[in-house]
Amino acid sequence: MKKKIVSALLVTTMLSTVVTGCGKQAGRGGAVNADGIKEFTGFFAVPGNELNDDNDVQKILAEKTGCTVKETWLTGQTAEEAIGTLIASGEYPDFIEAGNGSVQMYEAGALVALDDYLDDYPNIKNFFTEQEWDSLRQSDGHIYWIPQFSNIQGEEKACEQNDEAFWIQTRVLEWAGYPKIETMDEYFDLIEDYVEANPTMEDGTENIPYTILCDDWRYFCLENAPQFLDGYPNDGSCIVDPETKTVIDYNTTPTAKKYFEKLNEEYKKGIVDPESFTQSYDEYIAKLSSGRVCGMIDQWWDFAFTAGDAIKTAGLDKEGCQYVPLPITIEKGMKNQWHNSGGVLNVSSGLAITTSCEDVEGALQFVNDILDQDLLNLRLWGVEGVDYEVDENGVFYRTPEERKNCADTAYKAAHLCPYSYFPRWEGTSTDGINATRPENQPGEFYDGLSDNLKKCFDAYGVETYVDMLGTTPPPGDWYPMYTFSQTMTTSTPGGTAWNKMGEVKHEYLPKVVMADDFEKGWDEYMKVYNDCHPEDFLKEMQEELDRRIEAAAKYK
Amino acid sequence: MNLQRRFKKISGPDLAFRIFNTIFMIVFVIVTLYPVLNTVAISFNQGTDALRGGIYLWPRMFTWKNYTTVLAKDNLITGAYITVLRTLIGTVLALVTNAILAFIVSRKNFIFAKPLSLFWVITMYVNGGLIPTFLLYKSLGLTNSFLVYVIPGMISAFNMLVIRTYMRGIPDSLEESAQLDGAGYTTIFLKIISPLCKPVYATVALFVAVFQWNSWFDAMLYNRMATQYTTLQYELMKLLSSVTNQSSSAESMKNAEGSITPTSIRAAATVVTMLPIVCIYPFLQKYFVTGLTLGGVKE
Amino acid sequence: MKAKSFTKTDVKHQKVLLIWAAIITVYGIIFYYVPLVGWLMAFQNYKPVTGILHSQFIGLDKFKMLFSDVAFLRVIRNTLAMGIINLVATFIMAIVFAILLNEVASKGGKKVVQTISYLPHFLSWIIVAGILHDALSASGIINELLVHFHIFAKPIDFFAHEKYFWPIVAFANVWKETGWNAIIYLAAITSIDPSLYEAAAIDGAGRWAKIKNVTLPGIKPTIMILLLMNVGNVLNAGFEIQYILGNGLIQKVSQTIDIYVLKWGISQMDYALGTAAGIFKSVVSIVLIVFFNNMAKRHGEERLF
Repeated sequence: MKKKIVSALLVTTMLSTVVTGCGKQAGRGGAVNADGIKEFTGFFAVPGNELNDDNDVQKILAEKTGCTVKETWLTGQTAEEAIGTLIASGEYPDFIEAGNGSVQMYEAGALVALDDYLDDYPNIKNFFTEQEWDSLRQSDGHIYWIPQFSNIQGEEKACEQNDEAFWIQTRVLEWAGYPKIETMDEYFDLIEDYVEANPTMEDGTENIPYTILCDDWRYFCLENAPQFLDGYPNDGSCIVDPETKTVIDYNTTPTAKKYFEKLNEEYKKGIVDPESFTQSYDEYIAKLSSGRVCGMIDQWWDFAFTAGDAIKTAGLDKEGCQYVPLPITIEKGMKNQWHNSGGVLNVSSGLAITTSCEDVEGALQFVNDILDQDLLNLRLWGVEGVDYEVDENGVFYRTPEERKNCADTAYKAAHLCPYSYFPRWEGTSTDGINATRPENQPGEFYDGLSDNLKKCFDAYGVETYVDMLGTTPPPGDWYPMYTFSQTMTTSTPGGTAWNKMGEVKHEYLPKVVMADDFEKGWDEYMKVYNDCHPEDFLKEMQEELDRRIEAAAKYK
Repeated sequence: MNLQRRFKKISGPDLAFRIFNTIFMIVFVIVTLYPVLNTVAISFNQGTDALRGGIYLWPRMFTWKNYTTVLAKDNLITGAYITVLRTLIGTVLALVTNAILAFIVSRKNFIFAKPLSLFWVITMYVNGGLIPTFLLYKSLGLTNSFLVYVIPGMISAFNMLVIRTYMRGIPDSLEESAQLDGAGYTTIFLKIISPLCKPVYATVALFVAVFQWNSWFDAMLYNRMATQYTTLQYELMKLLSSVTNQSSSAESMKNAEGSITPTSIRAAATVVTMLPIVCIYPFLQKYFVTGLTLGGVKE
Repeated sequence: MKAKSFTKTDVKHQKVLLIWAAIITVYGIIFYYVPLVGWLMAFQNYKPVTGILHSQFIGLDKFKMLFSDVAFLRVIRNTLAMGIINLVATFIMAIVFAILLNEVASKGGKKVVQTISYLPHFLSWIIVAGILHDALSASGIINELLVHFHIFAKPIDFFAHEKYFWPIVAFANVWKETGWNAIIYLAAITSIDPSLYEAAAIDGAGRWAKIKNVTLPGIKPTIMILLLMNVGNVLNAGFEIQYILGNGLIQKVSQTIDIYVLKWGISQMDYALGTAAGIFKSVVSIVLIVFFNNMAKRHGEERLF
């Protein structure tokens, strides 16, 4: 009996501790806490780094700005689901980055129009040009969100080819005496020759000449090369002819056919990895990490931070297993546009303030303040003397210890506070010396390079990945078109076609590459492809292209 | 020697059966243990090294890093406290309510037994969707509160039916004789039926407890901003999401000594959440492995 | 005590049952039936801003769209096929495992095996699918064995052929859930009166006869109830495992209703489509349940209601 009473008591106390206490889902609207700091909330419909409640830099920023933002991120849900529930509930955090749900938030009347406020906040105002601000206006003529990224201040500091390319291991180039490789045929010939002469790695594992990642949305590694091979930049969903200002479908060009025919040929020769079309992303990264794969097409961010890191950890960089990009086109002497300079303004989403926020001025003041150079340094570099050092010339650098700390998840959560989905500058600091972010600091870049890369860069007379390809300016005001195709939904014929085309390509492109009879396979693919009505899609893309060109003409 | 003598007593077919059964169990154990051991091995292996694959039962580059990262997660203690609490309270509430409902619908002469069963069976196959459910909980004041973990989903048709089936197996004569002695339904439920239902109660308690222990979606959906009600699994999910996010950013590159990866963190988090259940399990297990002696109860 | 007639004395006598039933029913209505208002979304061009009450009415458009889409009919086929294969495989394996485990003589062995058997339940699908994908890849352990023992001349890529996909998914389910699913049967076996086994032994029954005549009949009500419940779930064949293991080459057999809904509904902010598919699944489930429940009734077996 006594035991029962005790346990009953226990349960009651437990219950009372849990039932009392209150949380607040909605924005705190800049309510002032005990320390005199305004507290805001923010939800970002993207996966992000969760910070500890007592994060060091966040505290410093709070002292300097008088504000702090409790950030939450997308977990285990799609952005659409999260935003849908938010709108249904009618209670929002103060700040929001709604991703693909931005238009829905605007339509729901959940966002505060920012244009009337902008003049009072110079840092925000100067973040974009008048033309750029106008491109952000929604159907009612107002501005609701501020895109945070790819806004370059001063000199652009890009060392890494952060985009797509045909990659090749340095050992292959070294073996061949660092030849000039310009076309797809030369690229595959080189790989063939190398593998014939060196069927295995130093430890006897077999080389994989060329593999293609094809897992889910990552199948761009298979499908979008034709636009680059024809010398066009990454418009993503189509080619735009800069002369005639027309949209061209890169899936059906003669180059596309040549490219897939080449892959088919190489597949039959055993150069293309037979597991290409069924491997998972993890398996692909495992292959790359083991150093066996001589070449592939991919986006830098898709493999470098995982496989690249693993190659170094295993010491395979000494064997020349790291990758460099090659400026490849379909014919010799064409201009390649694998790398474009300049930022890409993504108008489809950005940081917004919701109607639940009771202190819009305070919120905007905060956004304005953290764009100051000192605070940007705090956000992106950390605390001077703790996370980075300054040499006699004013150049920022990190000691190995600091570099290690700043890559550590637990340290990041406890110490660093980038406010990563708030607006920030890329390029050069206002001091004219340093890159705004450590990743783009040239010194930081060179120190991180292994010998095989330095040797390779020297042989080609270049200093960075980007130099391997060369840089071209963005082709026109419409660029890139993918910011439009990303927002298409099945509510329009074009969006439906776009979805279906994706599905068909997913299934038939692997079949085409593996086909015994390429011509037959290609014809079959083209037939199914045309059944998706790609013309509906191209029509809507053309309309958007015309609209963009017209909108840009006003400022000329 | 001893073994041989023992087998001699067993008839031919029985011996064959026993050998077959032993082999079957050994194969079964190997096949089911492998993914678990593999996960443990990966959880102790350095993350970037594990990317290369080829780790089976033993880590190649040993590290505590994955565990220290998991255990350093902010709010982990709060999350663990809430999770223990919701597991205890949720299990008790669910067990009591499901048992009562099962008792009611297993009374053969209860007039609404069948309609009530149908009413609950249907709930297993219908679902109003995320948004209507969210709005309902909000209007009931369940959002930003602990109660959202234990009140919705408290009674579930599945658990109720499992208990009901068991209760139906208990002979009616027990109830009838108790009624003759003047016992009401409350007494019959508490004193006659429930003591006999220990194995099935243990089963349902295990189901509910594991469900509660592993839940995180409700914490994310209804208590996103109320950090005092965060759960262990939600904190781990957030950590995993952070790591996944970082592994595709330039920062991770600078760590020359190799670092954690989503795979290694997932493995460590799995082990961390699995361990308490593995430890508690034997206490429940006695109810459904050893078996209760119901002798004399059956007709 | 009469079973069928319902008199005032019954009401008085069953008062406590009625009160509890009423409370529980109110609970059920609130938490399970009220949200069904959301089904209206299937007939609306639902926008979160206008809500369920004020969104534009579109009638049966979404249902027409679904059932005129060849792709949807194909995912129904896939879902049904995988649902049935999974049901049969996991169901039989769990029962077989529970019975065989019960026959293990050593008590310690029994406990150990059982503890290990349910562990995979706690691994996420990402982990299980990852291991399985590795093992079955062209250079994986399975192919190595098959080639080694000359069952195949050269490795085959199991994920490149449509015919292997459904069995692989079924295997994954069996692998992950057999031990867990067996727990219910183990609990049911404990309720069997030991004297029945003794009686059988006196009659000279061997192991097999005991299983057939004592154990199986003893757990038959549990088997029937679980079977009926699971039959209603054939359209919930899953999402994660197919999503992780599938690829472009075999998407025609790998996509399930849930994947279709994610692709064409949720990720397009089309709430109506997802809701319509959900209603379709519910209706099919309930029809199946009622049908099989009546069948069970006719055969005098344990049933759901």
